Amino acid sequence: MTMRGERPGSELEVVVTGSGPRVGYLHGFVCEPTGQPFLSALAGHGLEVVAPSLPGFGGTPPADDIRGIHDWVWHLSDIIDRSGLAGRPVVASSVGAMLALELASLRPEAFSSLVLIGPLGLWDDDDPVTDPFSTTLGNQRALLTSDPSVTAPFFDDPTDLAPERAVERTVRRYTARTAAASLVWPLPEFGLAQRIGRVRVPVTLVWGADDRIVSPRYADRFARHLDVRDSIVVEGAGHLAEWDSPSVVAELAARALWKGSVDD
Amino acid sequence: MKTIWFHLMPYPDLPDDFTSEHRSVWVDIDPNLFDPVVGHRMYNEYIDELEFAAAVGFDGVGINEHHSNAYGLMPSPNLIAASLARSCPDAALVVLGDSVALYNPPIRVAEEFAMLDCISGGRLVAGFPVGTPMDTLYAYGNNPATLRERYHEGVELILRAWTADEVFSFNGKYSKLRYVNCWPRPVQSPHPPVWIPGGGSIDTWEWCARTGYSYLYLSYFGYKAALNTMRGFWDRVESAGRPRNPYQAGFAQFFGVADSEKEAIELYREPAEYFFNRCLHVYPGFADPPGYKTLATVRQGAEGMVERAAREAAERAAAATRKAERKKAMQSFSAASHMTFEQMVEKGYVIVGSPDQVAERTVEMARQLNIGHVMSLCHFGNMSRDLAMHNTELMASKVLPQISHLWDDEWEDHWWPKPLAERVAPHRP
Repeated sequence: MTMRGERPGSELEVVVTGSGPRVGYLHGFVCEPTGQPFLSALAGHGLEVVAPSLPGFGGTPPADDIRGIHDWVWHLSDIIDRSGLAGRPVVASSVGAMLALELASLRPEAFSSLVLIGPLGLWDDDDPVTDPFSTTLGNQRALLTSDPSVTAPFFDDPTDLAPERAVERTVRRYTARTAAASLVWPLPEFGLAQRIGRVRVPVTLVWGADDRIVSPRYADRFARHLDVRDSIVVEGAGHLAEWDSPSVVAELAARALWKGSVDD
Repeated sequence: MKTIWFHLMPYPDLPDDFTSEHRSVWVDIDPNLFDPVVGHRMYNEYIDELEFAAAVGFDGVGINEHHSNAYGLMPSPNLIAASLARSCPDAALVVLGDSVALYNPPIRVAEEFAMLDCISGGRLVAGFPVGTPMDTLYAYGNNPATLRERYHEGVELILRAWTADEVFSFNGKYSKLRYVNCWPRPVQSPHPPVWIPGGGSIDTWEWCARTGYSYLYLSYFGYKAALNTMRGFWDRVESAGRPRNPYQAGFAQFFGVADSEKEAIELYREPAEYFFNRCLHVYPGFADPPGYKTLATVRQGAEGMVERAAREAAERAAAATRKAERKKAMQSFSAASHMTFEQMVEKGYVIVGSPDQVAERTVEMARQLNIGHVMSLCHFGNMSRDLAMHNTELMASKVLPQISHLWDDEWEDHWWPKPLAERVAPHRP
């Protein structure tokens, strides 16, 4: 569904799947909620999954008032309120996980618990995060997941798509990639290290073993600052592990959320 | 028609195996390839060439800004312009320009351009490019999502700083200045002419058509390939209710002049191949980052100049790889990814020939594109100073007299500097 805001351009796309206790999903570099198997896999564990699209991603228009990371965080704060996710457990991936940590450091009650899949936001000079935008589109796609075909709903157009619809899909994709790039440009370190210690909620870390954007070695770096209840590496998965292994990650997430602080 | 002698200042000593052993001339080019001794010689020879061009009668000398590359070694065009302001006493100083979004705060551009206009006695053309993605986003770390907004805000600040009658505060989204007070102020009133160099972005030429700035299409792919872009520009100019004054537009073109076409082909083959095959060897991953293009450009499927160069090189390389099959794939990749000089001439990337041939083709180009400013590249690639000066001298003495009259009786150049009538000459002890 698309929620209308009070201001022009403040529309927010929110996809809701399943029924049961409510959990949120914050996407990473790739956002195509209606074509994402992970959401139905997570909902299959008896959950209502609420998946908002960040500004510029999916059906949510870009926000022209974003100048830097703090504007992104305030937008996310509004988004979780508008989509009914305030105080709920949330699964957050990649740049979405980075924003979730930023918000949780500023607004402690924003989430009840977090499952973070390949989070960005910290930086090690000796083990730098890969820049996914200094390469060709084909290579970029290959960097995101172990199996590039799993992100077809975002990157590929149906062969019988009408030309005008194809242009719109191209523009939508470009807008989303622009938003994603803006979140990690020039490198994804905006001072989270100074704030991450303020995050109080229980955290589960999930990493694709083949993550070529943020090495699984970063799990220890995050764990030093967070109340990490579990840290799991998913074999055969890349950076967007929930795209590569939707069932496995959904089960891990559901278990973590139930073990954690789901209160419904 | 005005002809500006335009220098890119490429690094002239890239190794022969550069394209096979290095992935890009820009952004992550190996710093060990730069020899400061070559740099010393190169800068001095290049400045010699610019000074020579001004001395033999070119209307202006042109320079621009690039970073972290061997394609054009002018991180600071204003440094070169300051030197030329003194040594070229009559030519226009066409600085194309300062990449506004890279200056923080952009008032620095207003100040340095005003200095140049004062030193030169009002001979500055103020170029404001957005800048290539390699320069602005990768080398200087600007965010692609905000680059163009930052750029437009910077241009607004500069123009206000030049024209305001009193000190003012500027509360921009990216620049916040309690006191804006540009000292010095430019000689030209209300300010130096503004030229906007572009590589094909639709929004750039639409903006020029709307505001009346001069649009300069910096394509290296010949005027035939530029016809669509320029046609679109002139359509927009007409829609904005403005005349099709050719001086509101310019185009960059490579020239190679000799006594005969045969000699020209012999003389200019190597430097042209060096430029197109080594200096434009840009890794495609740097040529089209998301957010650099506007959505209007994405909708049109329009392609930027560098993006095109990178794509064509990749396509040639891919074709070569297919042909090479398994054996010696890498060597063939390099060899067949090269464009031949004959291809460059045929496609009009380089206009070569006798003075009459060059003049005829240049007039045809100017009429087809309807341009009044030609950014002539008489040095390119690894051309020696002697050859560059030979080319420049022939161009000035035998070509310019045949082309400079174009548009004389039809149009006035409102985008040319208006210098002081009496200027201070450099004192030579």
